[in-house]
Amino acid sequence: MSTHSGNPLTHPEVMLANAFAYCAGFVVSIGLMAAALLITLLGQGLSYLTFLASISGLAMLALLAQAVLLFRLDLSETQIWKTVSLILVVPLFVLSIGLTAWMFHTLYPRTMLNFMAMHGGGSMM
Amino acid sequence: MSGAQPVLWAPGHDGAHDPIAAKTFGFWLYMMSDALIFAALFAAYGVLDHGFNAAGGPAAAQVMHPLGAFWQTLAIFASVLAYNLAMVGLKAGSRRWVLLGLAAAGLLGAVFVGLESVDFLRLVAQGAAPERSGFLSVFFILVATHGLHMLFGMLWIAVMMLLVLLKGFTTENVTRLLNLRLFWTFQASIWVCVFVFVYLRGAF
Repeated sequence: MSTHSGNPLTHPEVMLANAFAYCAGFVVSIGLMAAALLITLLGQGLSYLTFLASISGLAMLALLAQAVLLFRLDLSETQIWKTVSLILVVPLFVLSIGLTAWMFHTLYPRTMLNFMAMHGGGSMM
Repeated sequence: MSGAQPVLWAPGHDGAHDPIAAKTFGFWLYMMSDALIFAALFAAYGVLDHGFNAAGGPAAAQVMHPLGAFWQTLAIFASVLAYNLAMVGLKAGSRRWVLLGLAAAGLLGAVFVGLESVDFLRLVAQGAAPERSGFLSVFFILVATHGLHMLFGMLWIAVMMLLVLLKGFTTENVTRLLNLRLFWTFQASIWVCVFVFVYLRGAF
């Protein structure tokens, strides 16, 4: 965390503003999301797992680009604790979603086989 | 501040105390906890996005329109770009630049919310309302929670425009502008997850 006193406009977090980085973040994010859209619209021949891995990879890249180019996260004195806290939160975010989905993914077949056999089961993540 | 001992916060301490950094870091930690609220909603979506939970009603593939959601993606990313360019104006000390950027960000945010509202109304008109099934309930809750964040952000932007007009770039206003930048950019990051894992995955 930085130390600063005096004119707020010279604060290190204000000085992080950079038009080139923001424009690059915008272009990269849009490009990656457009690629994911194209895979969805044109990639109907792909297997579900290949499709999911492809769009997940593009989403990760877009989030990484936003962290670096829009949030301006790095290891500088100004930003290091924001970067560290984000790195610590991301596994919690992924695990809470992944573990919940996985637990129910195994619960459905164990508890609803008869219903699904009668009515047909939908796709599950 | 060479030789001074950095202090996160202490009442009456004027040494190396940095009120801007302390408040933006505190707000950043709040945003991390907000991310975990979205994690809970995504987890609920992952559970309820199952044929069983469609309850005979429309499943994801019938209600998702990825191209329509892409226009929303363009609107929110452009809004975040406008806000961030306003921060370049802040660095230059230009009140006009900041106000223009905030106004553009708010307007593009309104476009995003407008597109989302039209999509919701279309679904309800087709009988795909939240009460139709567990899947539709969680879909509406997840997307609308993000939409509510956007509405709150637009209100905050309007308040900040007023404060910048009235008081200029005081330490308090600069801190608020930096916090709002974190909040507004965070909405774009959450939208990446919503667009990819709800709209695109659902449409496949």
